[in-house]
Amino acid sequence: MEIKILQQPDNAIAHIILAAREELIAEAGAMIAMSEFINTSTTLRQGKGGGVFGGLKRMIAGESLFLSVFRSPTANGEVFLAPQFMGDILHYPLRKDGLIVQATSYLASSENIEIDLGFQGFKSFFSGESIFWLDFSGYGDILISAFGGIYEIDVNGEYIVDTGHIVAFEKSLEFEITKPGSSWFGAFFGKEGLVCRFHGRGKLYCQTHNPTNFGQLIGPQLPARKQ
Amino acid sequence: MQFDIRYKPAFATIFITLEPGEKITAEAGGMVSMDADLSVKTTFSGGFFSGFLKKFFGGESLFVNTFINTTSFARQLVLSQSTPGDIVAVELHRKQQLCFQPGAYIASTPDVKLGVGWAGFSSWFAGEGLFKLKIKGKGTVFFGGYGGISQQYMTQDLIVDNGHLVAYEDGIKMGIGLAGGLLGSMTSGEGFINKLKGKGVIYLQSRSTSGLVKFLSSKCR
Repeated sequence: MEIKILQQPDNAIAHIILAAREELIAEAGAMIAMSEFINTSTTLRQGKGGGVFGGLKRMIAGESLFLSVFRSPTANGEVFLAPQFMGDILHYPLRKDGLIVQATSYLASSENIEIDLGFQGFKSFFSGESIFWLDFSGYGDILISAFGGIYEIDVNGEYIVDTGHIVAFEKSLEFEITKPGSSWFGAFFGKEGLVCRFHGRGKLYCQTHNPTNFGQLIGPQLPARKQ
Repeated sequence: MQFDIRYKPAFATIFITLEPGEKITAEAGGMVSMDADLSVKTTFSGGFFSGFLKKFFGGESLFVNTFINTTSFARQLVLSQSTPGDIVAVELHRKQQLCFQPGAYIASTPDVKLGVGWAGFSSWFAGEGLFKLKIKGKGTVFFGGYGGISQQYMTQDLIVDNGHLVAYEDGIKMGIGLAGGLLGSMTSGEGFINKLKGKGVIYLQSRSTSGLVKFLSSKCR
Protein backbone atom coordinates (compact mmCIF):
# COMPACT_ATOMS: atom_id res chain seq x y z
CA MET A 1 0.00 0.00 0.00
CA GLU A 2 1.37 3.38 -1.01
CA ILE A 3 -0.04 6.46 0.68
CA LYS A 4 0.41 10.06 -0.35
CA ILE A 5 -1.23 12.99 1.40
CA LEU A 6 -1.94 15.89 -0.95
CA GLN A 7 -3.13 19.48 -0.35
CA GLN A 8 -1.72 19.66 3.18
CA PRO A 9 -2.57 21.10 5.59
CA ASP A 10 -5.69 23.15 4.80
CA ASN A 11 -7.83 20.66 2.92
CA ALA A 12 -5.85 17.44 2.81
CA ILE A 13 -6.79 14.44 0.67
CA ALA A 14 -5.25 10.96 0.81
CA HIS A 15 -4.21 9.15 -2.37
CA ILE A 16 -3.79 5.42 -1.79
CA ILE A 17 -2.43 2.88 -4.27
CA LEU A 18 -3.37 -0.71 -3.45
CA ALA A 19 -1.38 -3.77 -4.48
CA ALA A 20 -3.15 -6.87 -5.84
CA ARG A 21 -5.67 -8.36 -3.37
CA GLU A 22 -4.95 -5.66 -0.80
CA GLU A 23 -7.78 -4.26 1.31
CA LEU A 24 -8.36 -0.82 2.76
CA ILE A 25 -10.89 -0.11 5.51
CA ALA A 26 -12.32 3.40 5.71
CA GLU A 27 -14.95 5.43 7.47
CA ALA A 28 -18.23 5.23 5.53
CA GLY A 29 -18.63 8.13 3.12
CA ALA A 30 -14.95 9.07 2.96
CA MET A 31 -14.32 7.84 -0.61
CA ILE A 32 -14.25 10.61 -3.19
CA ALA A 33 -12.76 8.76 -6.17
CA MET A 34 -11.40 5.32 -7.02
CA SER A 35 -10.37 3.05 -9.88
CA GLU A 36 -13.37 1.52 -11.63
CA PHE A 37 -12.27 -2.10 -10.97
CA ILE A 38 -12.08 -1.83 -7.15
CA ASN A 39 -14.58 -4.01 -5.27
CA THR A 40 -16.39 -2.29 -2.43
CA SER A 41 -18.35 -3.75 0.43
CA THR A 42 -19.41 -2.68 3.87
CA THR A 43 -18.37 -4.46 6.99
CA LEU A 44 -19.05 -4.61 10.65
CA ARG A 45 -15.48 -5.95 10.86
CA GLN A 46 -14.98 -9.47 12.08
CA GLY A 47 -12.72 -10.46 14.94
CA LYS A 48 -11.78 -8.37 17.93
CA GLY A 49 -13.78 -5.16 17.97
CA GLY A 50 -15.79 -6.44 15.04
CA GLY A 51 -19.22 -7.95 14.59
CA VAL A 52 -22.43 -6.21 15.52
CA PHE A 53 -21.24 -5.43 19.02
CA GLY A 54 -18.06 -3.82 17.73
CA GLY A 55 -20.13 -1.80 15.30
CA LEU A 56 -22.42 -0.61 18.07
CA LYS A 57 -19.45 0.39 20.14
CA ARG A 58 -18.08 2.39 17.24
CA MET A 59 -21.45 4.05 16.86
CA ILE A 60 -21.38 5.07 20.52
CA ALA A 61 -17.93 6.46 19.85
CA GLY A 62 -19.33 8.77 17.18
CA GLU A 63 -18.05 6.75 14.26
CA SER A 64 -20.39 5.19 11.73
CA LEU A 65 -21.69 1.71 12.45
CA PHE A 66 -20.46 0.42 9.12
CA LEU A 67 -17.03 0.71 7.63
CA SER A 68 -16.30 0.64 3.90
CA VAL A 69 -13.91 -1.95 2.51
CA PHE A 70 -12.01 -1.33 -0.73
CA ARG A 71 -10.40 -4.39 -2.30
CA SER A 72 -8.22 -4.22 -5.37
CA PRO A 73 -8.20 -7.41 -7.48
CA THR A 74 -5.11 -6.29 -9.41
CA ALA A 75 -2.13 -4.07 -8.76
CA ASN A 76 -2.36 -0.24 -8.97
CA GLY A 77 -5.84 0.16 -7.57
CA GLU A 78 -6.30 3.83 -6.70
CA VAL A 79 -8.49 5.25 -3.94
CA PHE A 80 -8.86 8.89 -2.91
CA LEU A 81 -10.17 9.52 0.59
CA ALA A 82 -11.08 12.75 2.37
CA PRO A 83 -12.90 13.67 5.58
CA GLN A 84 -16.00 15.88 5.41
CA PHE A 85 -14.51 18.90 7.10
CA MET A 86 -11.47 20.99 6.18
CA GLY A 87 -8.19 20.15 7.85
CA ASP A 88 -5.09 18.01 7.79
CA ILE A 89 -4.62 14.24 7.39
CA LEU A 90 -1.93 12.29 9.24
CA HIS A 91 -0.44 9.05 7.97
CA TYR A 92 0.71 6.96 10.92
CA PRO A 93 2.58 3.72 10.23
CA LEU A 94 1.59 1.40 13.09
CA ARG A 95 4.40 -1.00 14.00
CA LYS A 96 4.48 -2.46 17.51
CA ASP A 97 2.95 -0.25 20.21
CA GLY A 98 -0.67 0.51 19.68
CA LEU A 99 -2.18 3.90 18.85
CA ILE A 100 -5.16 5.53 20.54
CA VAL A 101 -7.20 7.79 18.26
CA GLN A 102 -9.92 10.24 19.20
CA ALA A 103 -12.96 8.55 17.59
CA THR A 104 -14.13 11.27 15.21
CA SER A 105 -10.61 11.59 13.78
CA TYR A 106 -10.53 8.09 12.29
CA LEU A 107 -10.37 8.06 8.49
CA ALA A 108 -8.94 4.74 7.27
CA SER A 109 -6.65 1.83 8.07
CA SER A 110 -5.10 -1.17 6.35
CA GLU A 111 -6.71 -4.61 6.58
CA ASN A 112 -4.70 -6.24 9.36
CA ILE A 113 -5.25 -3.49 11.89
CA GLU A 114 -7.68 -4.20 14.71
CA ILE A 115 -10.06 -1.46 15.85
CA ASP A 116 -11.50 -1.54 19.34
CA LEU A 117 -13.12 0.84 21.77
CA GLY A 118 -10.57 0.71 24.55
CA PHE A 119 -11.11 0.93 28.28
CA GLN A 120 -9.88 4.53 28.12
CA GLY A 121 -13.18 5.28 26.42
CA PHE A 122 -15.03 4.52 29.60
CA LYS A 123 -12.50 6.39 31.71
CA SER A 124 -13.19 9.58 29.75
CA PHE A 125 -16.92 8.95 29.85
CA PHE A 126 -17.00 8.83 33.63
CA SER A 127 -14.87 11.92 33.98
CA GLY A 128 -17.61 13.87 32.22
CA GLU A 129 -15.88 14.56 28.93
CA SER A 130 -17.62 13.12 25.91
CA ILE A 131 -14.54 11.93 24.10
CA PHE A 132 -14.24 8.40 22.89
CA TRP A 133 -11.05 6.68 21.99
CA LEU A 134 -10.49 4.00 19.41
CA ASP A 135 -7.77 1.54 20.18
CA PHE A 136 -5.66 0.45 17.19
CA SER A 137 -3.30 -2.51 17.21
CA GLY A 138 -1.51 -4.64 14.63
CA TYR A 139 0.93 -3.88 11.83
CA GLY A 140 -0.05 -1.52 9.02
CA ASP A 141 -1.08 2.03 8.20
CA ILE A 142 -3.61 4.36 9.77
CA LEU A 143 -5.00 7.60 8.35
CA ILE A 144 -6.30 10.20 10.77
CA SER A 145 -8.07 13.47 9.99
CA ALA A 146 -8.25 16.67 12.03
CA PHE A 147 -9.70 20.18 12.11
CA GLY A 148 -6.73 22.41 11.33
CA GLY A 149 -3.10 21.37 11.17
CA ILE A 150 -1.74 18.34 13.02
CA TYR A 151 1.47 18.77 14.99
CA GLU A 152 3.56 16.13 16.71
CA ILE A 153 4.81 16.37 20.27
CA ASP A 154 7.49 13.97 21.41
CA VAL A 155 6.45 13.60 25.05
CA ASN A 156 9.16 12.80 27.52
CA GLY A 157 7.87 13.63 30.96
CA GLU A 158 4.58 15.47 31.22
CA TYR A 159 2.51 17.38 28.69
CA ILE A 160 -0.93 19.03 28.78
CA VAL A 161 -3.43 19.22 25.92
CA ASP A 162 -6.90 20.74 25.86
CA THR A 163 -9.33 17.81 25.48
CA GLY A 164 -10.78 19.13 22.22
CA HIS A 165 -7.38 19.22 20.55
CA ILE A 166 -6.21 15.63 20.95
CA VAL A 167 -6.06 13.63 17.75
CA ALA A 168 -4.03 10.53 18.65
CA PHE A 169 -1.32 9.27 20.96
CA GLU A 170 0.91 6.23 21.28
CA LYS A 171 -0.14 3.61 23.79
CA SER A 172 3.12 3.97 25.69
CA LEU A 173 1.68 7.24 27.07
CA GLU A 174 -0.50 7.31 30.15
CA PHE A 175 -3.05 10.05 30.64
CA GLU A 176 -5.42 11.48 33.17
CA ILE A 177 -8.19 14.00 32.72
CA THR A 178 -7.64 16.87 35.09
CA LYS A 179 -7.59 20.64 35.58
CA PRO A 180 -4.99 22.71 33.69
CA GLY A 181 -3.32 24.61 36.52
CA SER A 182 -3.28 24.14 40.25
CA SER A 183 -6.77 25.47 40.89
CA TRP A 184 -10.30 24.51 39.88
CA PHE A 185 -11.11 28.23 39.70
CA GLY A 186 -8.92 28.52 36.63
CA ALA A 187 -10.37 25.40 35.05
CA PHE A 188 -13.88 26.82 35.05
CA PHE A 189 -13.43 30.58 34.76
CA GLY A 190 -10.32 30.42 32.61
CA LYS A 191 -12.48 28.42 30.18
CA GLU A 192 -9.81 25.78 29.70
CA GLY A 193 -12.20 23.28 31.24
CA LEU A 194 -10.68 19.86 31.57
CA VAL A 195 -7.40 19.00 29.98
CA CYS A 196 -5.52 15.77 29.36
CA ARG A 197 -2.28 15.43 31.26
CA PHE A 198 -0.01 12.93 29.50
CA HIS A 199 2.96 11.26 31.08
CA GLY A 200 5.51 8.75 29.98
CA ARG A 201 7.34 8.59 26.72
CA GLY A 202 5.81 8.55 23.24
CA LYS A 203 4.39 10.58 20.41
CA LEU A 204 1.30 12.73 20.75
CA TYR A 205 -0.63 14.34 17.88
CA CYS A 206 -2.67 17.50 18.38
CA GLN A 207 -4.97 19.48 16.09
CA THR A 208 -4.52 23.25 15.98
CA HIS A 209 -8.28 23.98 16.08
CA ASN A 210 -11.17 22.67 18.12
CA PRO A 211 -14.24 21.67 16.06
CA THR A 212 -16.54 21.93 19.10
CA ASN A 213 -15.46 25.51 19.81
CA PHE A 214 -16.09 26.53 16.22
CA GLY A 215 -19.46 24.76 16.29
CA GLN A 216 -20.44 26.57 19.47
CA LEU A 217 -19.53 29.89 17.87
CA ILE A 218 -21.55 29.35 14.69
CA GLY A 219 -24.29 26.93 15.85
CA PRO A 220 -26.34 29.24 18.11
CA GLN A 221 -26.57 31.81 15.32
CA LEU A 222 -28.21 29.38 12.92
CA PRO A 223 -31.99 29.10 12.71
CA ALA A 224 -33.58 26.15 14.49
CA ARG A 225 -34.22 23.14 12.27
CA LYS A 226 -37.87 22.90 11.31
CA GLN A 227 -39.53 19.67 12.35
CA MET B 1 10.09 35.02 24.34
CA GLN B 2 10.20 33.49 20.91
CA PHE B 3 7.19 32.73 18.79
CA ASP B 4 6.36 31.21 15.46
CA ILE B 5 2.96 31.45 13.78
CA ARG B 6 2.48 28.24 11.80
CA TYR B 7 -0.25 26.94 9.48
CA LYS B 8 -0.86 30.44 8.11
CA PRO B 9 -3.24 31.63 6.78
CA ALA B 10 -6.06 29.07 7.01
CA PHE B 11 -5.32 27.56 10.43
CA ALA B 12 -2.80 29.95 11.98
CA THR B 13 -1.57 28.79 15.40
CA ILE B 14 0.99 30.40 17.72
CA PHE B 15 3.88 28.28 19.00
CA ILE B 16 5.52 30.18 21.87
CA THR B 17 8.73 29.39 23.72
CA LEU B 18 8.86 30.98 27.17
CA GLU B 19 12.31 31.37 28.75
CA PRO B 20 12.60 30.97 32.55
CA GLY B 21 10.69 33.74 34.33
CA GLU B 22 8.81 34.90 31.25
CA LYS B 23 5.04 35.06 31.03
CA ILE B 24 2.25 35.69 28.56
CA THR B 25 -1.43 36.54 28.98
CA ALA B 26 -3.99 34.81 26.78
CA GLU B 27 -7.71 34.92 26.16
CA ALA B 28 -9.65 32.36 28.22
CA GLY B 29 -9.87 29.08 26.34
CA GLY B 30 -7.05 29.91 23.94
CA MET B 31 -4.62 27.24 25.14
CA VAL B 32 -4.23 24.25 22.82
CA SER B 33 -1.37 22.43 24.52
CA MET B 34 1.64 23.16 26.73
CA ASP B 35 4.43 21.68 28.79
CA ALA B 36 2.87 20.40 32.00
CA ASP B 37 5.08 22.40 34.38
CA LEU B 38 4.02 25.85 33.12
CA SER B 39 1.98 27.65 35.79
CA VAL B 40 -1.45 28.99 34.88
CA LYS B 41 -3.07 31.87 36.73
CA THR B 42 -6.61 32.97 36.01
CA THR B 43 -7.37 36.63 36.66
CA PHE B 44 -9.98 39.22 35.78
CA SER B 45 -9.09 40.73 32.45
CA GLY B 46 -7.50 44.08 33.40
CA GLY B 47 -9.10 44.35 36.86
CA PHE B 48 -12.60 43.61 38.10
CA PHE B 49 -14.51 46.59 36.67
CA SER B 50 -12.85 46.71 33.31
CA GLY B 51 -13.15 42.94 33.11
CA PHE B 52 -16.91 43.23 33.45
CA LEU B 53 -17.10 46.02 30.88
CA LYS B 54 -15.08 43.92 28.48
CA LYS B 55 -17.28 40.90 28.94
CA PHE B 56 -20.63 42.58 28.60
CA PHE B 57 -19.81 45.31 26.14
CA GLY B 58 -16.59 44.33 24.45
CA GLY B 59 -17.55 40.75 23.69
CA GLU B 60 -14.43 39.35 25.33
CA SER B 61 -14.23 36.93 28.24
CA LEU B 62 -14.30 38.13 31.81
CA PHE B 63 -11.15 36.22 32.65
CA VAL B 64 -7.74 35.83 31.10
CA ASN B 65 -5.11 33.19 31.75
CA THR B 66 -1.50 34.09 32.44
CA PHE B 67 1.07 31.41 31.65
CA ILE B 68 4.28 31.70 33.67
CA ASN B 69 7.45 29.72 33.26
CA THR B 70 8.64 29.12 36.82
CA THR B 71 11.07 26.37 35.80
CA SER B 72 14.69 26.91 34.85
CA PHE B 73 14.33 25.65 31.29
CA ALA B 74 12.62 26.94 28.15
CA ARG B 75 9.01 25.78 27.95
CA GLN B 76 6.53 25.55 25.08
CA LEU B 77 2.97 26.84 24.82
CA VAL B 78 0.57 26.55 21.86
CA LEU B 79 -2.29 29.04 21.45
CA SER B 80 -4.98 29.32 18.82
CA GLN B 81 -8.48 30.69 18.21
CA SER B 82 -11.88 29.09 17.70
CA THR B 83 -12.31 30.15 14.08
CA PRO B 84 -10.08 28.87 11.32
CA GLY B 85 -8.12 31.83 9.96
CA ASP B 86 -5.07 34.01 10.14
CA ILE B 87 -3.26 35.36 13.21
CA VAL B 88 -1.18 38.55 13.27
CA ALA B 89 1.48 39.57 15.79
CA VAL B 90 1.97 43.33 16.22
CA GLU B 91 4.90 44.96 18.02
CA LEU B 92 3.36 47.92 19.80
CA HIS B 93 5.57 50.88 20.64
CA ARG B 94 4.94 53.04 23.66
CA LYS B 95 2.45 55.53 22.26
CA GLN B 96 0.60 53.27 19.91
CA GLN B 97 -2.93 52.12 20.67
CA LEU B 98 -4.92 49.49 18.83
CA CYS B 99 -8.67 48.92 18.98
CA PHE B 100 -10.00 45.40 18.53
CA GLN B 101 -13.34 44.11 17.41
CA PRO B 102 -14.98 41.61 19.81
CA GLY B 103 -13.32 38.22 19.75
CA ALA B 104 -10.16 39.27 17.91
CA TYR B 105 -7.80 39.36 20.91
CA ILE B 106 -5.75 36.19 21.51
CA ALA B 107 -2.69 36.98 23.65
CA SER B 108 -0.22 39.67 24.73
CA THR B 109 3.08 40.11 26.58
CA PRO B 110 2.90 41.38 30.22
CA ASP B 111 3.47 45.10 29.59
CA VAL B 112 0.60 45.33 27.16
CA LYS B 113 -2.55 46.64 28.88
CA LEU B 114 -6.07 45.69 27.92
CA GLY B 115 -8.66 48.37 28.48
CA VAL B 116 -12.13 49.35 27.42
CA GLY B 117 -12.90 52.54 25.57
CA TRP B 118 -16.16 54.23 24.65
CA ALA B 119 -16.88 53.38 21.04
CA GLY B 120 -19.94 55.59 20.66
CA PHE B 121 -23.49 55.13 19.49
CA SER B 122 -22.58 55.03 15.85
CA SER B 123 -20.48 51.96 16.53
CA TRP B 124 -23.45 50.41 18.32
CA PHE B 125 -25.71 51.08 15.36
CA ALA B 126 -23.17 49.46 13.10
CA GLY B 127 -23.58 46.36 15.23
CA GLU B 128 -20.19 46.68 16.89
CA GLY B 129 -21.10 47.41 20.51
CA LEU B 130 -20.93 50.55 22.68
CA PHE B 131 -17.46 49.82 23.98
CA LYS B 132 -14.34 48.70 22.25
CA LEU B 133 -11.30 46.82 23.41
CA LYS B 134 -8.23 49.08 23.55
CA ILE B 135 -4.71 47.71 23.63
CA LYS B 136 -1.74 49.83 24.61
CA GLY B 137 1.75 49.60 26.08
CA LYS B 138 5.07 48.33 24.80
CA GLY B 139 5.10 44.69 23.76
CA THR B 140 3.65 42.13 21.41
CA VAL B 141 -0.04 41.51 20.91
CA PHE B 142 -1.59 38.63 18.96
CA PHE B 143 -4.98 38.80 17.34
CA GLY B 144 -6.83 36.76 14.78
CA GLY B 145 -9.75 36.66 12.41
CA TYR B 146 -11.80 34.39 10.19
CA GLY B 147 -10.08 34.10 6.81
CA GLY B 148 -6.91 35.94 5.84
CA ILE B 149 -5.95 39.22 7.48
CA SER B 150 -4.71 42.08 5.34
CA GLN B 151 -3.02 45.13 6.75
CA GLN B 152 -3.91 48.43 5.07
CA TYR B 153 -2.51 51.88 5.66
CA MET B 154 -5.41 54.29 5.43
CA THR B 155 -4.57 57.65 3.88
CA GLN B 156 -8.12 58.69 3.05
CA ASP B 157 -11.58 58.02 4.47
CA LEU B 158 -12.63 54.46 3.92
CA ILE B 159 -15.90 52.55 3.93
CA VAL B 160 -15.60 49.12 5.51
CA ASP B 161 -18.13 46.33 5.78
CA ASN B 162 -19.16 45.68 9.42
CA GLY B 163 -18.03 42.11 9.80
CA HIS B 164 -14.66 42.51 8.13
CA LEU B 165 -12.86 45.05 10.30
CA VAL B 166 -10.67 43.24 12.85
CA ALA B 167 -8.50 45.98 14.33
CA TYR B 168 -7.57 49.61 13.77
CA GLU B 169 -5.27 52.24 15.24
CA ASP B 170 -6.81 54.46 17.86
CA GLY B 171 -6.58 57.69 15.84
CA ILE B 172 -9.21 56.41 13.44
CA LYS B 173 -12.81 57.47 14.09
CA MET B 174 -15.76 55.32 13.25
CA GLY B 175 -18.94 56.76 11.81
CA ILE B 176 -22.03 55.25 10.34
CA GLY B 177 -23.74 55.66 7.03
CA LEU B 178 -25.90 54.04 4.41
CA ALA B 179 -24.35 52.48 1.36
CA GLY B 180 -25.50 54.80 -1.44
CA GLY B 181 -28.88 56.01 -0.20
CA LEU B 182 -31.67 54.21 1.60
CA LEU B 183 -33.01 52.20 -1.33
CA GLY B 184 -29.61 51.24 -2.66
CA SER B 185 -28.53 50.24 0.80
CA MET B 186 -31.48 47.89 1.26
CA THR B 187 -31.32 46.34 -2.19
CA SER B 188 -27.56 45.87 -2.42
CA GLY B 189 -27.55 43.89 0.82
CA GLU B 190 -24.89 46.11 2.30
CA GLY B 191 -27.11 47.59 5.04
CA PHE B 192 -25.37 50.00 7.39
CA ILE B 193 -21.75 50.68 6.67
CA ASN B 194 -18.79 51.82 8.70
CA LYS B 195 -17.14 55.03 7.64
CA LEU B 196 -13.60 55.28 8.92
CA LYS B 197 -12.02 58.71 9.17
CA GLY B 198 -8.39 59.57 9.82
CA LYS B 199 -4.99 58.13 9.03
CA GLY B 200 -3.51 54.91 10.34
CA VAL B 201 -3.30 51.17 10.02
CA ILE B 202 -6.36 48.96 9.78
CA TYR B 203 -6.64 45.16 9.62
CA LEU B 204 -9.32 43.52 7.50
CA GLN B 205 -10.36 39.89 7.54
CA SER B 206 -11.12 38.31 4.16
CA ARG B 207 -14.24 36.45 5.40
CA SER B 208 -16.71 37.12 8.19
CA THR B 209 -18.43 34.67 10.52
CA SER B 210 -21.71 36.53 10.04
CA GLY B 211 -21.32 35.84 6.33
CA LEU B 212 -20.85 32.15 7.06
CA VAL B 213 -23.94 32.15 9.29
CA LYS B 214 -25.97 33.79 6.51
CA PHE B 215 -24.73 31.24 4.00
CA LEU B 216 -25.50 28.27 6.26
CA SER B 217 -28.87 29.62 7.43
CA SER B 218 -30.24 29.51 3.91
CA LYS B 219 -29.39 25.79 3.81
CA CYS B 220 -30.93 24.95 7.21
CA ARG B 221 -34.37 24.06 5.98
